[in-house]
Amino acid sequence: MNTVTSAVTAGAVLAAAAAAGVGVDWVAFLSVLVWAMTAAIVVVGLYALGVRMLIRGGRVPVVAPAEFTDAITVLSPAEARKAERKAEKAARKNPLTAGQKRLARLTAYACFGLCAGAVLFGIYLIVPALHGA
Amino acid sequence: MDITYLVVLVIALALFFDFTNGFHDTANAMATPIATGALKPKVAVALAAVLNLVGAFLSTEVAKTISGGLIKEGSGGVLISPEMIFAGLIGAIVWNMLTWLLGLPSSSSHALFGGLIGAALVGFGVGAIDGGVLLSKIILPALIAPFTAGLIAFVVTKLAYGLTRRYDKKPDGRSGFRYGQIFTSSLVALAHGTNDAQKTMGVITLTLVAVGMQDAGTGPQLWVVTVCALAIALGTYIGGWRIIKTLGRGLTEVKPAQGFAAEASTAATILASSHVGFALSTTQVASGSVIGSGLGRRGSEIRWGTVGRIGLGWLMTLPAAGAVGALAALVAQLGTVGVIADAVVGVGVILFIYLWSRRDEVGAHNAMSDVADSGHAVRITEPEKKVKRRDRVRQTAGSPGTETETGRQRGGGALPDSDATTTGDDK
Repeated sequence: MNTVTSAVTAGAVLAAAAAAGVGVDWVAFLSVLVWAMTAAIVVVGLYALGVRMLIRGGRVPVVAPAEFTDAITVLSPAEARKAERKAEKAARKNPLTAGQKRLARLTAYACFGLCAGAVLFGIYLIVPALHGA
Repeated sequence: MDITYLVVLVIALALFFDFTNGFHDTANAMATPIATGALKPKVAVALAAVLNLVGAFLSTEVAKTISGGLIKEGSGGVLISPEMIFAGLIGAIVWNMLTWLLGLPSSSSHALFGGLIGAALVGFGVGAIDGGVLLSKIILPALIAPFTAGLIAFVVTKLAYGLTRRYDKKPDGRSGFRYGQIFTSSLVALAHGTNDAQKTMGVITLTLVAVGMQDAGTGPQLWVVTVCALAIALGTYIGGWRIIKTLGRGLTEVKPAQGFAAEASTAATILASSHVGFALSTTQVASGSVIGSGLGRRGSEIRWGTVGRIGLGWLMTLPAAGAVGALAALVAQLGTVGVIADAVVGVGVILFIYLWSRRDEVGAHNAMSDVADSGHAVRITEPEKKVKRRDRVRQTAGSPGTETETGRQRGGGALPDSDATTTGDDK
């Protein structure tokens, strides 16, 4: 009961603030939150799933940093090669059949493809000439 | 004073503001890919500069609304004079330079608004400022932006690590997120270009309209668009390395999957806000994302002291830029002598801040690490106490866990698959 009352009070205060013209457009704010959250979850989820499926399909991505930015994470070329060998070894031990691996890889490529689509949609939203604003 | 000189002066200042805006905001897009090594520092800023240059030509819609809106917004129908704009720009530039010196990411739009508001206060009195508009358009969004982006970044960071987590110590492939980082960061840079260069185009157009050199209601001219695009691109390429340092490693240590999640949240939030009509500051969104992603990754630490300093900077932006703008407007009211005095003092302050910054220069070579180069030569080992006890037991059971071995395996943290000593942290 108390929570209901306080919620009503809070709502009244917000409504009063909105009426006075000092409030935030909460509907617009909430839709920003929902849209942004959905888009971010879709993009990051797909990419992460793509990485996971790639590993399942026997292709472990090993991307060495372009520049060693931190002394703690410095890798020598020999260490990078070692990491790649380890990735290959893990890929060989994969218990899946060839068909399952291919399916996993195709899923991974589909995920990355959808991610690329999301990036293109982002460009579409950024360029006014494309969406006709 | 001849009005032409004043216009030239205002345009020069506006372009310099555009330049500071560029290097101030390089970090929003490029701090995380630089921090994780997804892009070389110089390549990253060059990419951001090109995207800003392209973005500036893509749209002039924002510039039109700014050059139309500021006159109404600033003073309820009172025409803003070039002297006011001049004073406002000085306030914005001085604050941008100061926050850059301190390595604080802060909103260039807020600095510009603050400076113009300060100048309008002197010119037209307190009545010129609509407190309600100020609160609902600038102050509340500034509070909301970092929390929104932070929440989204927190959730998607958890998601990214959850989906790639392995308990069998096999490679998790998280270094593969480095490729993704390039694309999400590029989106942020492009979105920035379509927005921020236009603020300056709007200010220059506003000035040209105010002195009658351009018809009211027309968009920015091509030469204005071109010089503004070049100024912001040059600024972006110069790179605000101090701010990149703060966002890239000052708030928290950024890993590839985390950087990808943070930049995806930034891009999503900015695009959503600009299309649903709830304008949020790119800088505040980007900072919120980095903090949120840091909270979302296991074993990462947030430096709350730095977070506090940045928050304080945001609170100070409007009043501080406003105070400088007001002071400059006060002096500018003296006439030609005042404007010249303003210009001289303004250039003096900028030069002083620049020279002061030379005392401890931060550039592409040392923004992320002062010791990375020496790290190639000397193998750096982490203190034994950092490894949790159960891992040490596991380690001694498995292989001879000498200190060098530990350091080397921890050192392989950039490539998650060499992560044999699990400390419960996500790499």
